[in-house]
Amino acid sequence: MECQHISYQYPQQSTGLVDLSGHFPEGQVTTIIGPNGAGKSTLLNVLARRLQPQQGKVLVGGKDSYDLSDRQFAQQVALVTQQHELFDELTVREVVATGRLPYHGLLSQVPPAEVDPYLEVNGLTNLADDLIQNLSGGQQQRVWLAAALAQEPRVLLLDEPTTYLDVHYQQALMAQLRELASRGMTVIQVLHDINQAFRISDWLWLLQDGQLIKCGTPAELRTAPLLAQTFKTAVEIVEVPKLGPYIVQLPE
Amino acid sequence: MKKHAGRWYGGVLILLCITILVALMAGTTWISLGQLGRTVGAPASRDFTTVFSLRVPRILSSLICGGSLAVAGALFQAVFRNPIADPSILGISSAADFFKLGGAMLIPWLPGRSWVMAILGGLVALMILTSGKALSNPYRLIIVGVALDATFVGLQQLLSSGATQVSQSTFNAMTWADTTILLILGVSGLFVALILAPWANYLKLPDDALRNVGIPVSVLRWSLLLLATYLATSVTAIVGTIPFVGIVVPNVARRLVGHDYQTLLPFSMLAGAWLMLAADTLGRTVIVPSEISAATMMAIIGGPFVIILLQRGRVLHGMSTH
Repeated sequence: MECQHISYQYPQQSTGLVDLSGHFPEGQVTTIIGPNGAGKSTLLNVLARRLQPQQGKVLVGGKDSYDLSDRQFAQQVALVTQQHELFDELTVREVVATGRLPYHGLLSQVPPAEVDPYLEVNGLTNLADDLIQNLSGGQQQRVWLAAALAQEPRVLLLDEPTTYLDVHYQQALMAQLRELASRGMTVIQVLHDINQAFRISDWLWLLQDGQLIKCGTPAELRTAPLLAQTFKTAVEIVEVPKLGPYIVQLPE
Repeated sequence: MKKHAGRWYGGVLILLCITILVALMAGTTWISLGQLGRTVGAPASRDFTTVFSLRVPRILSSLICGGSLAVAGALFQAVFRNPIADPSILGISSAADFFKLGGAMLIPWLPGRSWVMAILGGLVALMILTSGKALSNPYRLIIVGVALDATFVGLQQLLSSGATQVSQSTFNAMTWADTTILLILGVSGLFVALILAPWANYLKLPDDALRNVGIPVSVLRWSLLLLATYLATSVTAIVGTIPFVGIVVPNVARRLVGHDYQTLLPFSMLAGAWLMLAADTLGRTVIVPSEISAATMMAIIGGPFVIILLQRGRVLHGMSTH
């Protein structure tokens, strides 16, 4: 996936994206980081085709994403957002089955056998007939991830996937994302926790005020002056035993 | 699908059969089961005329209207994501009624006028509901709907105050011609509704989530809205406005057979047919030889039901039972 001169401006707002160009390496985990209002979620929504940029284009597998039909796009790119609002009772199985819809006619049924593997991988087999409304935030997150994986996308987009997860599930999720990337999936996520971002990513995009400050490997971006300037706070990088480099925000 | 859904299906089918039998027998003249059997072989008898020219068309009409209104209600609820959306409460039926009356006055020569005008009226109401901000909030939708309903009822009264033709929502004096039209309109609409039932399920998800998986949300929404309007206004065209069937039946059905529209729609169809026939049969037998119209019966049953539904703390936004 690649961005070419993307500009997006919200109506009557100053924030947006300004002439972003860069790529997301295939089969790697890329994390978009930056201070609040930097345009991280906007960028993710542009990549997911939820917002159409006024200028520039997003390439998916070398093609302009807007040249693909909705269905073709859904077979290539899946998005996991934060909580969804549901209007009626849905079981876990029904939600995960929606991920298979890009591969079926609008009126045909999704065979249960097609859904089972995605339930299993995400540890949802026992919850399959439960209502998603009755699950915890963390479990719901797993259901939406399973639905996105059922799309069998080449690119998986995640918006703050760790928000509703406790530390244990955060680690499990990150391990799963690494696993998916190792099998060739391009994973692109927005994270607030920059230490987590540096720890698990292969590639980082650092945004500020809608502009791409720098993209590169964690090692390339892990410099105190760069982070201090972007996040407008004093930063020091300390070495923590067993963990490695750790970014610490210093008091003013 | 709930565990006991099969039983409830069986239950409503048995009720339906019993009510049809009672409806065939009861009326100004009581025809016993034995007499019923004999009339089939005696086309010249007076009982034969009573049963086949009066009661059978009336029964068929009530069944098809009840089924159509219940399914229309369930579809409006799915699309508007609002448990009390219904053609009567949203003003769609009264708009259809008003246009039908207007048509009768202005273009009495047009063949198929009632139906054309009724569906036109329904579409006008639908346009008003879906333009502007009525959809932004479930309460706003219902308030706009109620205002729309009151407006069209008022307009209709204005038109009919000078006219001799007053539309009555009753199954009294249903002819075979009317019944045939209703059967064609209703059965075709209900058939399509059963095919499109999965779409109603998809609309339980927010639009964003549906777009993510490449579903053309607007196509689904408008197909179901037009289908529901078609079903509801077909009833209005032939019979008139009958309130609350579309709220009472699907909401009870959700409790009995669950929230999956592929189970819910067929069940609502059967239960709606039964409720309408029961209401009409009761209405025409309690004060023989006079009668209470089906619309009045439904208002008496449905009004309190909606009040209870809302007073018991169910939120208007979405249809969760929690």
